[in-house]
Amino acid sequence: MIQVKNLKRYYKTGDVIIKALNGVSFNVEKGEFIAIMGASGSGKTTLLRILGLIDHQTKGDYLIKELNLKILPEEQRRYYRLTQLGYVFQDYALINEMTALENVSILSLMADGSKKESIETAHEALKKVGLDGMVNRIPDKLSGGEKQRVAIARAIAKKPNILFADEPCANLDSKTSEQVLNVFKDLNEKYNQTIIMVTHEKWHTKFVSRIITLKDGLIISDKKIK
Amino acid sequence: MLNDLKVGFLSAKSSIKRGNKKTSFFIIFVLALIFMNLIFLPSLINGMMGLFVGFVQDYTYGNIVVEPVEEKIYIENVDNVLKKIRSVTEVTGVAKRIEAGASLRYKQNVVGANIIGLIPKEEVGVSQYPNIVKYGEFLGELSRDEILLGSMIAGVGTGSEIYDNLGEVKVGSLINVTYSNGVERTYKVKGIHEGTFELTDLNAIVHFKELESVLGIEGEQKATSVVVRIANEGEEAYVKDKIIDVGVKEDVFTWQEKAETLVKQALQSIGSIDTMSKIVSLIVGASLIFIIIYINTLNRKKEIGILRAVGVSPNSIRISYIFISLFYVSLGIFLGLIMFFGLVFYFTSNPIVFYETLKIVPKVDFILLIKSILIMVGMSVVAGFIPAWFVTRQDMLEAIWGR
Repeated sequence: MIQVKNLKRYYKTGDVIIKALNGVSFNVEKGEFIAIMGASGSGKTTLLRILGLIDHQTKGDYLIKELNLKILPEEQRRYYRLTQLGYVFQDYALINEMTALENVSILSLMADGSKKESIETAHEALKKVGLDGMVNRIPDKLSGGEKQRVAIARAIAKKPNILFADEPCANLDSKTSEQVLNVFKDLNEKYNQTIIMVTHEKWHTKFVSRIITLKDGLIISDKKIK
Repeated sequence: MLNDLKVGFLSAKSSIKRGNKKTSFFIIFVLALIFMNLIFLPSLINGMMGLFVGFVQDYTYGNIVVEPVEEKIYIENVDNVLKKIRSVTEVTGVAKRIEAGASLRYKQNVVGANIIGLIPKEEVGVSQYPNIVKYGEFLGELSRDEILLGSMIAGVGTGSEIYDNLGEVKVGSLINVTYSNGVERTYKVKGIHEGTFELTDLNAIVHFKELESVLGIEGEQKATSVVVRIANEGEEAYVKDKIIDVGVKEDVFTWQEKAETLVKQALQSIGSIDTMSKIVSLIVGASLIFIIIYINTLNRKKEIGILRAVGVSPNSIRISYIFISLFYVSLGIFLGLIMFFGLVFYFTSNPIVFYETLKIVPKVDFILLIKSILIMVGMSVVAGFIPAWFVTRQDMLEAIWGR
């Protein structure tokens, strides 16, 4: 489903070139739940951003279903992100003035233009993450875990091919983290959702089916878990 | 594009609905003041214009005035000229006049004044002179040793103390008049007139035939001007051409042509103040919206970056800020209109008084209202769009990092 070939990402800071990714290659099959791990500065967030089409690689190829995404112009990349990918940020990234329902429906509205359908889709997504009773609450009236579940609902509302999550439990306590990770696990098991998640917590790996570990911009281990 | 509009609208709606109400009210109130400033001063100037136009039309020039050709003192064969002008169907009234300078004396007081000689019955329907007599009566057809004084020279009008005056002349008082050609006459004051424009009240009026006699042109069919009234305002240029076509060889002017310099001079200074005030208001309004939207976009920079990252189009983000600006400005205009019409109502009941006699009432110009609304709307769209455009052009990662 996903082919990552010799992916490199270099940043230039003054005269210094930082090699955030220095040639990463791997494939992902449909329905995998992958944890990308590594120490701070290992390149895991950079990799996720490139896979999520938020950042550009310096070199290498990245293909989803045989389509090389490197060649897409910016507007098509945006549309691809909107319709094919889902992204969960560590700090929820919800719009404070919007209710949970509006936060989730906005992307469906952007993609399909139908208000009625976008609301139905949003209700469905919020139900999947167990928040169907809180659709009219604004983020300020939700707990951290509930906010992250709204963010997940937003990411899955359009039924994306791949769901990316960048340290989704970074701001949550362990109990809430477990609830959120269970949501991911359910999505993966019930709906065969492909998920790639960045995390630095080892205990999170009990929820995933594969762990890719990075160090200094390179993969140092890639193992499947039964 | 339609989806951009829908998302922009949803985003703007929630931002307005759940944003800070006090801040919103403050923005709307300031925009209302800016809008009112755009329209209130011009409406006062309009009212002032109306006063000038009233003076020029009702007393001095009518709709059209005929004057002697250059280098001549009098219109010759004036009754024939009157006949020709009356033959024009659009003309509703014509009056001939003679003017002369004179000094007037009552007891120890002497003042200089312009004396107008007119035929009383001709003035009905042409000027307001017959209708503004405050004390006594207007001149009659047989008035020869009688004079009508303006309240300012009679010394009885409000504010007349700022001019030289005859010192409380009353109806029936006898005054001595020495004309510029040396002829002296004694007249009984038949009436004192007071119009809405004090220049009118600085004139004195005698019968046309009396002034003919003073100037030694009795029966010579001469006049210094012929004032013409027409049926429909705005057709002055057309009727002027018709008057020329029927064979009037003298100089023919519309009131606009005669008043142009006077009105221009009078309004030039206040006009520049108005323009400056409008520009400053617009800059303040645009800056206000710009700053508010700019601060809003800066505070939401990360959020905007994330929205873009998850696939929301930059256009829908820009549109949402335009909707927010439009919302503020629409309510600002609405509140501004309420305040404006409130002020118009107040100043119509309590006019602004200049020089103690000029009562200025605001006059609403609906074309200007529509123009001002369009300017405010245009300004808000631009002021809302620019900061949103900046922030949506920024590198997505930089925005997400909040830089």
